[in-house]
Amino acid sequence: MATNPMHQFNVYRIGPEVKIAGIDISFTNSSLFMLLSAGAICIFLLLGTREKKLIPGKIQLVAEMFYNFIAKMISDTAGSKAKPYFPFIFSLFMFVLFCNMVGMFPYSFTVTSHIIVTLIMAMFIFVAVTIIGFIKHGFKYLKIFVPSGVPVLLLPLITVIEIISYLSRPVSLSVRLFANMMAGHTMLKVFGGFVISLGLLGGWLPLSFSVALTGLEILVAFLQAYVFAILTCIYLNDALNLHH
Amino acid sequence: MGNFDDFKTRLKIAKSNLKKTDNDTSKEASFLGNAFKLGTELVAAVAVGTIIGFILDSWLGTTPWLIVIFFFVGAAAGMLNVIRTAKRMQK
Repeated sequence: MATNPMHQFNVYRIGPEVKIAGIDISFTNSSLFMLLSAGAICIFLLLGTREKKLIPGKIQLVAEMFYNFIAKMISDTAGSKAKPYFPFIFSLFMFVLFCNMVGMFPYSFTVTSHIIVTLIMAMFIFVAVTIIGFIKHGFKYLKIFVPSGVPVLLLPLITVIEIISYLSRPVSLSVRLFANMMAGHTMLKVFGGFVISLGLLGGWLPLSFSVALTGLEILVAFLQAYVFAILTCIYLNDALNLHH
Repeated sequence: MGNFDDFKTRLKIAKSNLKKTDNDTSKEASFLGNAFKLGTELVAAVAVGTIIGFILDSWLGTTPWLIVIFFFVGAAAGMLNVIRTAKRMQK
């Protein structure tokens, strides 16, 4: 049981079973770690903004760094029109980052290693961006499927290709985050299992791999949160500034 | 007064240093981010194309044909995705 590398992804119920209209909405370990991540973000940001000093303390400095990082990312990729969406993108980035980072603790659960979680976030972004596009541009938004300067003969084919390209956005967004987190955590567990099975004599090699992989996984955890947020900005940019 | 000027120049130097390091880290992060982006960009479009072909096939009863066509259309969409990402990287 403990040597099964996929065992860490089990979702199990904590507390009583709750069912509403046939849908199981019981509290699970996944929900627990989502709450933990959200709570950690709240505590971190509350501590960071409690004393607004001119010369920031350690936590305030880190909180301001995150703020600047996201603000710069949004203005670089989506321009000044995207400023009202800063709270959403900031919370999204922080949530994905903290879920990934909380998952790096031994015996914890990685919320983002389940495709249902990442797919729901990606679908929400996809639907929201599409609605924003239609609100801002009306039916002119459909022009993103019809690039200008294409011969009439090729137009139906190009339009189908553009529609598939547009529909692939939530898939690539969710699969990237889920696959990276799941593959990384499985790999860590597999190397951990090698340490146990090779024992004191041969276990040192997989142990050193494990140490290196832990560092890599922390990098991946940050990068995936970054990629998730920056792609949201890029999609938002396409919806806000129509240029096809 | 001399003290204040001294502070001003020091502030300028510190600010320019800050700008430099700021740019470097964000550039590095975006390079690595782009590397992660490209692969899934291609695969996702192929998958979506194939799924659309599969659904249309079972709908219209033209079983092997639409799935084949949409597989290739999906591959084309994937390449379009990759080219777009690559163009954005060069900016």
